[in-house]
Amino acid sequence: MPITDKDILIKMEDIYKSFGEQEVHKGINLLVPKGGISVILGPSGTGKSVLLKQMMGLILPDKGDVIVENESLVGMSRKKLIQIRKKFGMLFQNAALFDSMNVFDNIAFPLREHTKYKEKQIKDIVMEKLRLVGLKDVENKMPSELSGGMRKRVGLARAIALEPKIILYDEPTTGLDPIMKDVVNNLIHSTQEQLDITSVVISHDIESTLKIADFVSMIYDGKAVINGTIDDFKTTDDPYVKQFISGSMEGPIKVF
Amino acid sequence: MTNIFSFIGRPFLQLINGSGRMILLFFDAIKWLFVPPFRFRLFLRQVEFIGVNSLSVIILTGTFTGMVFAFQSYIGFNKFGAEYMVGTVVGLGMARELGPVLSAIMVAARAGSAITAEIGTMRVSEQIDALNSLAVEPVQYLIVPRILAGTVVMPLLNVIAVFCGIAGGYFVGVDILGINKTLYLENMYRYVDLSDLYNGITKAVVFGLLLTMVGCYKGFYTSGGAQGVGKATTESVVLSCVLILVFDYILTAFMF
Repeated sequence: MPITDKDILIKMEDIYKSFGEQEVHKGINLLVPKGGISVILGPSGTGKSVLLKQMMGLILPDKGDVIVENESLVGMSRKKLIQIRKKFGMLFQNAALFDSMNVFDNIAFPLREHTKYKEKQIKDIVMEKLRLVGLKDVENKMPSELSGGMRKRVGLARAIALEPKIILYDEPTTGLDPIMKDVVNNLIHSTQEQLDITSVVISHDIESTLKIADFVSMIYDGKAVINGTIDDFKTTDDPYVKQFISGSMEGPIKVF
Repeated sequence: MTNIFSFIGRPFLQLINGSGRMILLFFDAIKWLFVPPFRFRLFLRQVEFIGVNSLSVIILTGTFTGMVFAFQSYIGFNKFGAEYMVGTVVGLGMARELGPVLSAIMVAARAGSAITAEIGTMRVSEQIDALNSLAVEPVQYLIVPRILAGTVVMPLLNVIAVFCGIAGGYFVGVDILGINKTLYLENMYRYVDLSDLYNGITKAVVFGLLLTMVGCYKGFYTSGGAQGVGKATTESVVLSCVLILVFDYILTAFMF
């Protein structure tokens, strides 16, 4: 079944974005279906993180539109945008934990900001989220005392604290050893299964992609070269995709 | 030829660009000041950091400035036998000029730099993006409490600096240089008005706003990792000090 027939959650229409002289996106069209794990692949430095930030309006495109559940983010007031962001949880590349707060306060932060829960309820939720990401006895530690993998888990626990509909992962497996990579992949998978949400993962890791993805897109030279299901991805004749999967220097993708 | 133009033009453009961004950020902060939730706790924490923790520095600066000032002005007045005017000059100088300017420069060096380093580190480690992604407005959460605290606390610190300066001047003038106590105080009371103190307090309000605004602005627009944070912090202190002196002239000329 082609991706266009599915229930679409996020629609990116003809996105252009430049930073100074550098054109990062040159007309990206991308659909993120509701449910499942969508992976956005691409070589390093092709603006994948920027794309992810555009999905929740952290950065706005120069031209084009981002539509989340039929609401256009471009031209939306900042107050409205803040409301839209509550639908999202984001796991940053280095977790971006608030280093002035301990683990408990980091996870409790969105709850204290946006809910009227009592401290007792907040404690229950924080413990539940920590259990969900497979951590215990860390709530009183400071972020600087945690390992990279643990920071990512705490970051994920914070991202899911408000029970978002969509979780965005910014290169979750980059810089991890093979075992930790598998742990994080399983974490993304189990979070997806348990919470029944939509996950968007950006990555340049083919192995992880084949393991977890339901849908795959690939960005090259500021455009999306493929946007389909995992089966479309595996069977495509597209030379860019084939080169990227094989990890070869030979092919249309230029190596500098 | 074009090199000369770009050599002159680029810093000029950067200056206009930078001032524009800082003023926009300032108006943005004003706007978010009046939008709930009001973060009183964060405000108090900044009052403690900018104000209470600066007390020792302010007391030392004020006292020694007053003491030196008494010595130096004694040399001048002694030449025509008007030593009893030392108290007047110390009082006027501290209240109108040295109190506000020196305490503002000390606070810029102590708290302004720390504000830039903290916000700058949050920027480069994506913690500001994380705030955004958790549907919390960073301008409201980070900048508003700081500039509000700076504006409220600086005049109070100024009054303490002025008081310490006058006390230091009295100690040097009367106890060390042996000026007649009654004449010293009498002349100070006669020629130093409360309006002189108000004059200095007005300056301190402006300086407090200025140094926290520069600190926040430099931190908020930091880029380029750890090196960028270092650079931003230096620029923040230099810019704060220069602006304090420039605005000191403007305010003095205006209130003359």
